[in-house]
Amino acid sequence: MATDQQHGAGAVQDGSMQVVMIGLGDEKFALDAGLVREIIDPVPATKVAGARSFVPSVINVRGNVIPLADLRIRFGMPQTEDSADTRIVVIEVGIDDEPVLVGVTADKVYEVTEISRTDVQHTPRVGMHWKPEFIRFITKWREEFVIVPNMERILN
Amino acid sequence: MSSMDPTEAFRQEASELFETLEGALLDLGLRPDDRELVDSAFRALHTIKGSGAMFGFDRVAAFTHEFETAFELVRKGEIKPTQELIAVALAAKDYIRALIEAPDSADSIIGDAILDDLKRFVSPTAQVLPVGSNADIPPVSESRPAGWQLRLEFESHILRNGSNPIDLLDDLCKLGPCFVVPLTDGVPLLDELEPEDCYLKWDVTLHGACDKAAIDDVFMFVQDEMKLTLAQVERAAPVLAMPIADVELAAPPAPAPTAASVPAAAEPAAPSERKREEPRRTEERGIATVRVQAERLDELMDRVGELVIAQARLSQLAAVGSDLSIKMIAEEIERLAASLRDTTMGARMVPIGSLFGRFRRLVHDLSRDLGKPVEFVTSGEDTELDKTMIECLADPLVHLIRNAIDHGIEDTETRAAAGKTEQGRIELQAIHSGAQVLVTVKDNGGGLNTARIRAKAEELIAPGAAMSDHEIHQFLFHPGFSTAQTISALSGRGVGMDVVKRTIENMRGSIDLSTKAGEGTTVTLRLPLTLAIIEGLLIRVGEGRYIIPLPAVEECVELTAEDERSRGRNFLNVRGNLVPFLRLRDILDVPGAPGQHQKTIIISTGETRVGLVADQIIGNHQTVIKSLSKLHSDVTIFSGATILGDGTAALILDVAQLVALAQSRAEKQQMSEAA
Repeated sequence: MATDQQHGAGAVQDGSMQVVMIGLGDEKFALDAGLVREIIDPVPATKVAGARSFVPSVINVRGNVIPLADLRIRFGMPQTEDSADTRIVVIEVGIDDEPVLVGVTADKVYEVTEISRTDVQHTPRVGMHWKPEFIRFITKWREEFVIVPNMERILN
Repeated sequence: MSSMDPTEAFRQEASELFETLEGALLDLGLRPDDRELVDSAFRALHTIKGSGAMFGFDRVAAFTHEFETAFELVRKGEIKPTQELIAVALAAKDYIRALIEAPDSADSIIGDAILDDLKRFVSPTAQVLPVGSNADIPPVSESRPAGWQLRLEFESHILRNGSNPIDLLDDLCKLGPCFVVPLTDGVPLLDELEPEDCYLKWDVTLHGACDKAAIDDVFMFVQDEMKLTLAQVERAAPVLAMPIADVELAAPPAPAPTAASVPAAAEPAAPSERKREEPRRTEERGIATVRVQAERLDELMDRVGELVIAQARLSQLAAVGSDLSIKMIAEEIERLAASLRDTTMGARMVPIGSLFGRFRRLVHDLSRDLGKPVEFVTSGEDTELDKTMIECLADPLVHLIRNAIDHGIEDTETRAAAGKTEQGRIELQAIHSGAQVLVTVKDNGGGLNTARIRAKAEELIAPGAAMSDHEIHQFLFHPGFSTAQTISALSGRGVGMDVVKRTIENMRGSIDLSTKAGEGTTVTLRLPLTLAIIEGLLIRVGEGRYIIPLPAVEECVELTAEDERSRGRNFLNVRGNLVPFLRLRDILDVPGAPGQHQKTIIISTGETRVGLVADQIIGNHQTVIKSLSKLHSDVTIFSGATILGDGTAALILDVAQLVALAQSRAEKQQMSEAA
């Protein structure tokens, strides 16, 4: 939800923020833990003909039909086959001011952790093959750069 | 419910009462002699007054009281309710509603003006009674009894229900001078006395030419908890004649003096009224109703939907296995789930009559404003529809009825010239038809002016194109399309019919129009019974499975080799008729070559038929509809999704969109062939 996002941003100002660390291809992304509803094993997805490429299908999560988003497409990353580590992270984001449940495919889910404000890096203009507006900020985790994506922008 | 704001509860109750009141007033305009209608209007008013006072809506209570008082003569049958009077009464009702819903914006000046009007309409006709004197001094007329002898015996628990016999006696005293004698023989010794029980009985001698009905009204809300013995008194006993001092209004709002010392509490006991109102109104004492929040019903429906899905999976598993006892349990659960689903759906069903009632006022007002006398006939009020659909239907029906009166029904002179009755007629009808409900709005006006619609349509299409009347009429549903030469306050802006169409299609319904020049227009809305569950036809296209809503399916035919060869022409020969068809594999982006035995499912909306080519027809599927999220709102060919027995999601094809798509393709094809 939008408020969650704001809370998350507030938390960064205070110094730390709870995140779920996921892997997509070679990159690591930190999803604001306030947005995450559950993490499930992959389920068969149903293709939606004519849908935008980053939300190509829908899945059944506990009797609800929710869209399955593929961030790899949004970030122009190569598609990978499902592996034993593949998970679906169900998040709740505000779309047109309404909370919407969305599944996000992750190649791997690492852990729930805290990232700290002191590590925040400004989004560099160069060396990035994705749009800066999709990124809230970049931070460091275990000596690696991780991206905190702006899910609302990505999905809208 | 328990957490519900009591004020909100009152508002809800009041809005139901307003519907009753409005219905009764409008009926009264048609059948001025029907006493039952007057009584029902009064009951509604009385309850609004009582509950209003209880919840602190003092202005409501005060105004309603004045309204009641002014209307009293109608109730006594001494003046007939005229059209003017009904109009003022309706205005008064609106004012009370405003007082409840937006008390700040309801100016008391308006209220005073309404009351003045009411009194003006009431007084001059009330010749029997000189204004300013007491209406109840006998004898008023020969046929009336001089008075009544009553004995009131209440059940001992009456006080615990919030009823106060003293208030009732007060109300009784307002009917005429009373002589009240309490009977104390039932009072036990102090040791045995329950402080919350009522031991007293009363003997009352009422002097006044009131009806028995008026007395019954006083005890309306407690009549189950008391014994009322009534006897007429032919001649007033001289001993009991009480001096009447200060009753001034035509109807007596002030309590008359009584022999027993009764505290002057003007308001009747409100709590008991609330309890009694429901059974009184329906007159079906055996049927108790519970008010449930709509969200809870929705939640229940969701749970049942999930249960149905889980049950389908269980049945599938049981069918594969060989364990007989599991199979039996699966069948048992299937049966239970089905009946639970039906019951839950039934709980959401509301008779459409509650909606129809609202339009009577609309027709009444429009007919007056436009100077076109219109008779409004409704039928099929008992037809039940899903609650959410009834709400969605209100706006489209308002549009259709407005159109019918404003454009459909001709003015009086034109009607006379055409040899029709002066009064126009609008019929609103609801009937069941299979898995659908048909709601029709029919007028006996001039019918659609096809030539004028065509002329206007030619601003959008090539002039002179060959079109059937039916196709021409479809232009009425184009956004911004209006043939009205002048824009009136009611219609002519061209917004409306497209909104109607969209709303109906959003409910997975369709709309038909038929018209006959000089005889009128009929608009038929075809609606599914419920929004939550549909019967669907499960089909396979490539690897994917899809649902087609079964009500739209007309028949399934094999795609013959001949049809197959006619590639590019995409027309199907169904018993001599050319039906355009769509290959779902193309629409759904399925790669690869189609299988050998392609099937065609003929679907229809109204008169238009379109074939859909699929790889396989799997069978019937009971479908719980899940809407697609906003992320997929740009995809128009699916109206929703459902969950299949194996837990995967399947998409429901949007019939209206596919038909439109097929038609536009067919038109293009015809045009390119013609060129």
